Amino acid sequence: MAAETLAGIAMLVLGESHLSLPGYLMNPLYEDLTTQGATVHAIGACGATAGDWLKTVEVPCGADRFKGDTVFKGRAATTSPIKELIAKDKPNLVVIILGDTMASYDNESFPRAWAWQGITGLTKEIAATQTPCVWVGPAWGTPGGKYFKNDKRVEFMAGFLEKNVAPCVFIDSLKFSKPGQWATMDGQHFNLAGYQAWSANITKALAALPLVQGLKK
Amino acid sequence: MTQADLTLSNAHPLLTRCVTLKKALSLTLCYVTLRKTLSITAGHVKKTTRTVRAIRLTVCCFGLVLSGLMFGALSHAADIPLYPTGPSADSSFVRFINGTDASLELTAAGSKAKVQLDAKTPNTAFYPVRAKSDIKGQFTQVQNKSDISTSVKAGEFVSVIALVDGAKLKHLTIGEEPEDFNALKVSLAFYNVSTTCANAGLQVVGRDVMLFEKLGVNALTRRLINPVKISVQLRCDGKPTGVPLDLGELIAGERYSVFAVPAASTTRIFIASDAVAR
Repeated sequence: MAAETLAGIAMLVLGESHLSLPGYLMNPLYEDLTTQGATVHAIGACGATAGDWLKTVEVPCGADRFKGDTVFKGRAATTSPIKELIAKDKPNLVVIILGDTMASYDNESFPRAWAWQGITGLTKEIAATQTPCVWVGPAWGTPGGKYFKNDKRVEFMAGFLEKNVAPCVFIDSLKFSKPGQWATMDGQHFNLAGYQAWSANITKALAALPLVQGLKK
Repeated sequence: MTQADLTLSNAHPLLTRCVTLKKALSLTLCYVTLRKTLSITAGHVKKTTRTVRAIRLTVCCFGLVLSGLMFGALSHAADIPLYPTGPSADSSFVRFINGTDASLELTAAGSKAKVQLDAKTPNTAFYPVRAKSDIKGQFTQVQNKSDISTSVKAGEFVSVIALVDGAKLKHLTIGEEPEDFNALKVSLAFYNVSTTCANAGLQVVGRDVMLFEKLGVNALTRRLINPVKISVQLRCDGKPTGVPLDLGELIAGERYSVFAVPAASTTRIFIASDAVAR
């Protein structure tokens, strides 16, 4: 039996719509991470931005999976303040999977000040709890669709995150595939094969981080 | 900025998103997503306004016409309700600086709250404000007053700096639209608002290194530096002016400003954090 690469790590995983439906990233990622020995509490909130995880914000859908129990929520879904989540779960690693909701794909100008404010607000709150964190950036989509996702902006968004998520460690999902390689339903949300590939790559990248290796028990 | 900013009052939120983002949507997707949600949340809809009921009726009628054409192609894409991928406008901020030698009070128009700005705390944090809104207030120093009226563009960080003008109090407004956000570096700005300091520069004490050079009056510049502990010496027209300033331990990811302001027969400098009020 292969060694579990994430043995003994208690993860709090937060994300946007990608983590909010069973056929999306939520189930494959939860299963991949737990197969590698991690204890995972994964929470998705559709449309949630970084700043939304500093407070309680209503979102159009969401999901919460913890210890095998999964709740997929409709309009009752909300975000929760990160400090409260960390205080309750006491994770030894926070994983943020967020980018598409902050990229302003339908706007020619990127809202730098707003994005910086939200990102640093969240990373500072996490840092204040002295919990290590990893930020997983957005993956390539397919140009167009109802969210207007496009290669140029998603590349810019990933670069912006890479510069601004410290002290969280950044994982660049753009390195996991080529543009358009993973088919999408709407330009932004992948089909199951895409989510399975994204999940496998995130799990592998997490396990390879020195930060995470240092947390293994 | 949250999704709430895209929400029209008295309308179903999902329809609102469809309306607000109509440039981005096919009518088809709006219809299917809204129709599905309305049926799921019928109980909720009954409690909402007549407007929503009227909208629902309209959409349902519209749906009868189009449903046969749409259903097969769209049921898969309607899994997640549409949400915005960014704010309707970038964030904007304003802060207030005491560039005089004595303490003064800052008052916001329509408020009795006062903020004391003195040598120990010469600046406020950057307050988030709505872009293009009117910002009014007043600096007060003994009998002197300076009425503030300004606005801030989307994405702009504005500094309102109180200064002495002879026996009077005045203020100067300087805006900045930074693009250098970087959590791995220190962002340091240099504001020169001293009319007696031409070609202002900041030299690292003990080293032949200029952090900034030849900055004009009533101007600012900014650069990224490594997180270090340094002191700086102001130079006006190349000549050392005033006493060196210890900037302290500058922290990566943080943003700071050094202000060069008029002082009695000279120019002095001080450092301020560019922190945003949370």
